[in-house]
Amino acid sequence: MSPDRDDVSEQLGEYRRIAVFGGVYNNALALEALLADARTRDVEAVFCLGDMGGFGPHPDRVFPLLREHGVLAIQGNYDESLASGRSDCGCGYTDPRDNHYAAISYRYTFEHTSTENKTWLGALPRHRRLKLGPHRVLMCHGSPRVVNEFLWESATPNGLLRHLMRRAEADVMLCTHTGMKWHRALPDARHAVNVGVIGRPENDGRTGVWYTVVTAAPDLQVEFVPLAYDHETLAREMDREGLPPEFAETIRTGWWTTCLENLPARERARGKY
Amino acid sequence: MTRRAVATDTPAGRAPIAPFVGLSTLWVQITGTWCNLECRHCINASGPKSPWLKPLDAATIARAIRDAEAAGVKEIYFTGGEPFLHGEILPLLELALGAAPTTVLTNGTLIGPEVADALAALAARVPYSLELRVSLDDTDEEKNDRIRGAGAWAKAVEAVRLLRERGLLPIVTATEITRDEHPPGSGMYERFRDFLHAQGVARPRVKIMPVFGLGRQPAGAAEPLTEKDLEGFDRSVLQCADARVVAAGGVYACPILAGLEGARLSTGSLAESFRPAPLYHPACVTCRQTGMTCRNS
Repeated sequence: MSPDRDDVSEQLGEYRRIAVFGGVYNNALALEALLADARTRDVEAVFCLGDMGGFGPHPDRVFPLLREHGVLAIQGNYDESLASGRSDCGCGYTDPRDNHYAAISYRYTFEHTSTENKTWLGALPRHRRLKLGPHRVLMCHGSPRVVNEFLWESATPNGLLRHLMRRAEADVMLCTHTGMKWHRALPDARHAVNVGVIGRPENDGRTGVWYTVVTAAPDLQVEFVPLAYDHETLAREMDREGLPPEFAETIRTGWWTTCLENLPARERARGKY
Repeated sequence: MTRRAVATDTPAGRAPIAPFVGLSTLWVQITGTWCNLECRHCINASGPKSPWLKPLDAATIARAIRDAEAAGVKEIYFTGGEPFLHGEILPLLELALGAAPTTVLTNGTLIGPEVADALAALAARVPYSLELRVSLDDTDEEKNDRIRGAGAWAKAVEAVRLLRERGLLPIVTATEITRDEHPPGSGMYERFRDFLHAQGVARPRVKIMPVFGLGRQPAGAAEPLTEKDLEGFDRSVLQCADARVVAAGGVYACPILAGLEGARLSTGSLAESFRPAPLYHPACVTCRQTGMTCRNS
């Protein structure tokens, strides 16, 4: 992928150390915790790789935090759907149970996101490019080629990464969308990083979530940062909003209860359901 | 039940085309149409006697995997026929899994304890996920075996058990062939999910496929697609836009039509098949209408 109309057209930013996260999923409490934590880590900027909505309660609580703290965001599939008034989230699920829960989540988020915030989402770029030390970084939501492509660790071959990053003219690719973090250093010194999500735990039986700090030292260093937040308050708010109890169960237990069908065997085997 | 193996095909010359956007999925028709079952609805009329599409040799498969990896393939599928009839299935599977996550579409009847052990050991030592898709057309033994042959249900269910015990999570794959035999409104997906839970499967995985009117299944009245049918439709979402199938005789546009002359895009290398595919077959109507994919998800 050469630079195209989907790329942000700002001047290429230059950084040394950044914080990156994905998938807020209406979880303003985790976002607040992240912003506080990132301030202690000497980062020059904080980036969000999209999907502000879905799953959690009170979507509009997320946007003031993003704006007030100058978070540099790109658009995920959820953001694109909300901004364009689409009837579904475009998450890319293919089985009826996952689509049932995805529809509940999307309807709730659509109805509780203000027009102003939908407009803000619509103005976000699809990708961002920056220089991190000597490294050319491409930020995307799913993959550089498709906004809702799932790049799972066990299902993303090195040959595909080489292909995507060569086309994107990037040394480092940062993505999210799957909800599970991973980092792979390729033999040709390129790096692919799925930065994880802060909206829900990553199906590991723990209630915390993860974000990522990337540093040019000048070799690339990738640090996954664990983040605790007031998950019980979030779960109670989800209950009060009438969201499915399966969603709150995930927040309270750390195990995914829905949207499981497209996990590869290896990732699925690590979870409870 | 024996039915005539028919490879129906129609001219592809004037058909609308799907663009080729890049190779995402490589299908390998490893055993051609050689199968130990003879299912009534088989899309390519596979069976035990004189397969009309021959199995592939290991060198052809290895070359296809290497070329696909260089082209940035995301996933590989082994299909047939029954892939576990191939004498070199395990080393070929290991080769594929060194390049990309790989799925085997199987009827499960040849997965005994030894094969299951070998698969579990393989899955643990390769870099990418090994996926196994075990076909089962109905949770009811009698309904299933009427379609797939006597004993097929018990062997497939046993394969699921053997794989589960070894930590592998097979995807049970069903067609909608017996859907009308169940009460209206009863969810097929939920029925399979409940069935697998009852079998002790804690993490049930289910894929449901439509029935295609080709192979041993009578063709419906569907006419091939026209340009008018595709107005306003994004053809790049069709699987022939980013998938190719290596099978006897060359490289084909999609796994449903593998072996059919009209769907052949190359008689040689994989790279030669990287061009638009004709949407010439009535089966293309099903893909257009259902948005289906033969991929896992």
